[in-house]
Amino acid sequence: MTSIIAPTVIQSVGITPLEVALFVFILITAVLTALFRDVLAAIVIFAAYSLGLAVVYTFYRAPDVGLTEAAIGAGVTTVFLLLTIAKTTRPPTDELFEPINWPAVAVCGLFALVVGSTLTAFPAVGDPNSPILTNPEVTGYYLENAYDETGAKNAVTSVLAAYRGFDTFGEAVVVFAAGIASLLVLGREVFTA
Amino acid sequence: MTFVETTIFGGITVGAFLLIVAALFVTLAVMMLYRAILGPTNQDRVLAVNVLGTNTVVILALLGAALGEPWFLDIALVYALLNFLMSIAISKFTVERGGVI
Repeated sequence: MTSIIAPTVIQSVGITPLEVALFVFILITAVLTALFRDVLAAIVIFAAYSLGLAVVYTFYRAPDVGLTEAAIGAGVTTVFLLLTIAKTTRPPTDELFEPINWPAVAVCGLFALVVGSTLTAFPAVGDPNSPILTNPEVTGYYLENAYDETGAKNAVTSVLAAYRGFDTFGEAVVVFAAGIASLLVLGREVFTA
Repeated sequence: MTFVETTIFGGITVGAFLLIVAALFVTLAVMMLYRAILGPTNQDRVLAVNVLGTNTVVILALLGAALGEPWFLDIALVYALLNFLMSIAISKFTVERGGVI
């Protein structure tokens, strides 16, 4: 007796109703973000888009990416965009939607088609026979030696923080510099308690 | 056999049932977009997105139970906090222009 969408099946086969609903939600919010004439409305809808995307990441068992998307996409970006329209002007409008620029839509559609044509080359989600999982020299090495060499229990963490530690350090420097620059531009200390 | 694998009716396990409920909640979120799109004022949109966020917390909790991944609840908690922060920021922006933080 098998159920329609048992958790074990989900990891290997196709698309579940939940994913369909999530993708519809994300697609609608993404298109609306581009279409809204009023910037404040666009920011609000963009936050909703970010929330939906974070659920998708979480569903695919990428909790760190999901957390980052929720914190940066829905939290910090919203506040920064609001600060931006607070420091600039927000043109009042009567229209709900932006007039659609059809040539731009055509170019974007073409780009999406070209990128989408590579989709068939991907292995199925969670496919245990995909090349990246069966590769003994790279994946196998990390899975076997990551704990002994770094002491981190999570293999992804060990790669991020140990094997490519300098790269992550550089990223942290970039984020730190961006934060300092934002504070300078805003001209005040935002993070004082 | 864990609780999630228990069959309730028609060959559907508790886990699958929770997943179906989660999918229904996502459908509800899609319908909530109606208010987010047409909502005559931006306050309506903020409220709609706030409801969406609360909805998301429920969805994450359901998923965490259905898939047997308790750490989903951590993300649900972060969500609840961020949802609150976002609403406060937008509300403050609307009331006192420029006072976001």
